[in-house]
Amino acid sequence: MAAGFNGFEITWRADVFSGAPQESSAASFGTLGINFRARKPHDEQEWRDAVSGAQSCVVADRNY
Amino acid sequence: MTSSGQMNSPLDIEELRQAIRDEYMAVACNPEQGFHFHTGRPLARLLGYDDEWLDGIPEGTLASFAGTGNPFRLGAFLPGERVVDVGCGAGLDSLIAARMVGAGGYVIGVDMTPAMLAKARASASEAGCANVAFREGYAETLPVPDGWADVVISNGALNLVPDKAAALKEMARVLKLGGRLQIGDILVQRPVPQSAKRKIDLWTG
Repeated sequence: MAAGFNGFEITWRADVFSGAPQESSAASFGTLGINFRARKPHDEQEWRDAVSGAQSCVVADRNY
Repeated sequence: MTSSGQMNSPLDIEELRQAIRDEYMAVACNPEQGFHFHTGRPLARLLGYDDEWLDGIPEGTLASFAGTGNPFRLGAFLPGERVVDVGCGAGLDSLIAARMVGAGGYVIGVDMTPAMLAKARASASEAGCANVAFREGYAETLPVPDGWADVVISNGALNLVPDKAAALKEMARVLKLGGRLQIGDILVQRPVPQSAKRKIDLWTG
């Protein structure tokens, strides 16, 4: 990630909008609530290298 | 969106922020009115919050909860840890985190909506929670020192931030080396056209 985080992982996703009191635009985009986590590197240089080098990332989308 | 001229005009960040502030002021002041998202205790249960976490949380804060995930399912909070809650709203997650980290730890909740902050502060006082402070500010410029936090949490707020990259960089800045990011937010499964991204009412509803 461009902010220098590593270990990005989405651990949960679910429809958290259906049944809300007012109609939402969320459904038209297939919007889901998610939990995700990541970690700042333990090493200062590793963090700075990650910030300067991170222009794209591949996110592992785990099945759960 | 009423004219073709508006279709191509850039998003006015301050107008967007005010619209979001107005929406969440309503959530703070009139939580029972019903919104395009769930709120309150039913939402907390939907998101997997343990009943014991909610025990002792003032009803005002609980009623105005409007998260989209559950940062507490992403890793344990240890006694003595420092936590920053970005977009803390009425303070539910901040108060839960404050209890988890105990008297040796500390929580800073940051939000841009004064009505939400007022509710959070009132609830902290009512609950006798001394290891939490609530500060007004934006996710893109967090009022927190460098390397202060063990954990940064956020719940349903990052999707409302105009400059998400700046917000994530701020989260990294305030974290200690090795610090953890534990976020509840949203994702979309269908592409959002650029024209839609300029529609403020789609950001808030």
